Amino acid sequence: MTINKTKNGGALTIAPAGRLDTLTAPELEKELQTSLPGVTELTFDLSALEYISSAGLRVLLSAQKAMNARGKMIVRGVNETVMEIFEVTGFADILTIE
Amino acid sequence: MNGQTDAREKRDTFWRRLRLRLTADEMFHETEVQANRLGALTLLCSGILLVLLLILTAAGVFLLPLSSVFPPFIQAIVEVLILLIVCRAVKYDAWWLKHLLMLGLVIVYARLDSVLTHKAAILMVIPVVLSSRYFSRRLTVFTSLVTTVVFACSAAWGATHGMININIVTAPAGTEIIATGGFLGEAVQKISDDRMLTINTMLYDYFPRWLMFSIVSVISCNIARRGRDMVTSQHEKDVKTARIKSELDLATRIQADMLPNIYPAFPDRREFDIYAAMDPAKEVGGDFYDFFLIDDDHLCMVMADVSGKGVPAALFMMASKIILANNAMAGKSPAQILTAANAAVCAHNREEMFVTVWLGILEISTGKLTAANAGHEYPILKHADGAYELIKDKHGFVIGGMDGVRYGEYELTLEPGAALFLYTDGVPEATDAEGAMFGTERLLAALNAAPAAAPDAVLQNVRAAVDDFVKGAEQFDDLTMLAFKYMGAARENTI
Repeated sequence: MTINKTKNGGALTIAPAGRLDTLTAPELEKELQTSLPGVTELTFDLSALEYISSAGLRVLLSAQKAMNARGKMIVRGVNETVMEIFEVTGFADILTIE
Repeated sequence: MNGQTDAREKRDTFWRRLRLRLTADEMFHETEVQANRLGALTLLCSGILLVLLLILTAAGVFLLPLSSVFPPFIQAIVEVLILLIVCRAVKYDAWWLKHLLMLGLVIVYARLDSVLTHKAAILMVIPVVLSSRYFSRRLTVFTSLVTTVVFACSAAWGATHGMININIVTAPAGTEIIATGGFLGEAVQKISDDRMLTINTMLYDYFPRWLMFSIVSVISCNIARRGRDMVTSQHEKDVKTARIKSELDLATRIQADMLPNIYPAFPDRREFDIYAAMDPAKEVGGDFYDFFLIDDDHLCMVMADVSGKGVPAALFMMASKIILANNAMAGKSPAQILTAANAAVCAHNREEMFVTVWLGILEISTGKLTAANAGHEYPILKHADGAYELIKDKHGFVIGGMDGVRYGEYELTLEPGAALFLYTDGVPEATDAEGAMFGTERLLAALNAAPAAAPDAVLQNVRAAVDDFVKGAEQFDDLTMLAFKYMGAARENTI
């Protein structure tokens, strides 16, 4: 997995590419921990994400909770496979998906 | 009489103490045997070399009289043979062998040194270098000391009996040397007296050599100590790993025992048949199933999957299982159970773990199934006269994800002959070597290949289909399944 990020003032866009699973989720979690302070608008661009496991969902959930307190979080570019996982797990209801 | 026994006992304890002191720790035993083998190999090579030198001398290549070389070489060869036989006899494994080998090597090389003198200076360092392979500084120090003493003797003896080093022969001014043919040394020997030769050899030959040797000794001691440290720390790591492994093995068994795993699970109930299996990808897993009778007429079935894997998931799984079961036993409806479980989990969940749960309660007498789904995979249902198909049920959010979530529930009716299949994402997401996933379509096909199969056969069929698909590719997710078949109320079956 590779993580691309672009920061523009308080707006941060993170675009993970590949598989977000038990092995790679800690990498994204660490990335978020270091770059989240000061961010008021977090965007996840998932257009290059092939698969997300429960460990990946946990990272998204943590990010959502962190952003609830101080801004907003948007998820975009969700493909069919990932969308199905969001729907099955109920994440579709708590995430702002564009 | 008594005095004799005492003396014997004293000797016994002395030997035992000595033996105890010289025996390596268990963790160095293998190292010691390997080093003994290396020592024996060195001896063997030395023996072969000696025979070769003897043959070359006999053939006249070295211009030395065979008579001066023959006795010490034969003596050395015999020593080598005896040591090799001893090594073989004890299979390189005896607590005294290392000392014997070092001593033997020093004596063999010193014997050669006494004949070849300065030509074979390098022989002196071989035993001490070899001793460092035992990772025992004590043995290396022992070998250094023995080498120092034995080689001093051999140098003194060799000064007058071995090959002469003409560079260190001193003679009064005006001394004439008359060549008699052969080596110059023979001519020189005639003009020198023994005392001068011995003193000069010790001072100009042995002493500088010993200084260089002492550097090698210090280095060898250091290698021995470092080697010892490495073996010790590796051993500590091994012990730690073994302890973690045995703890995980126990954890695996505890986890497996927590789930109902004796079949048939309800031998006296003829209205239904139920089988389930959990195969964690690691030692312990985050998946679980559960089923139990709430009362005589209500069977609760649970299929759940904790985020992540391994020990953290397993700990969370144990808590979730107990919370769900306790709420179910309190007589709540599936939606109420999930709502209460979510509140309980969220109250103590700083790590933001979550669990997806499908929970259903069957009224055994009527076949009415009430179920609720917290972010779990779609259950698969087969009506009595139909095929296995996915039920795209209403999904709530995962348990532990967000505080205050309310769950809905839905009802299904199982008629006699209906079957239910529950699973975790490890089944549809089983991946082959090319990265393709098993998927729900292959899962349905596997189920519908034998739609009338009994629950235990259903589990075997699906497992076989998954194994056949992944073809041995390593799986990273737990594989958990539950198969249920409804036969109908008791009175219809007791005829």
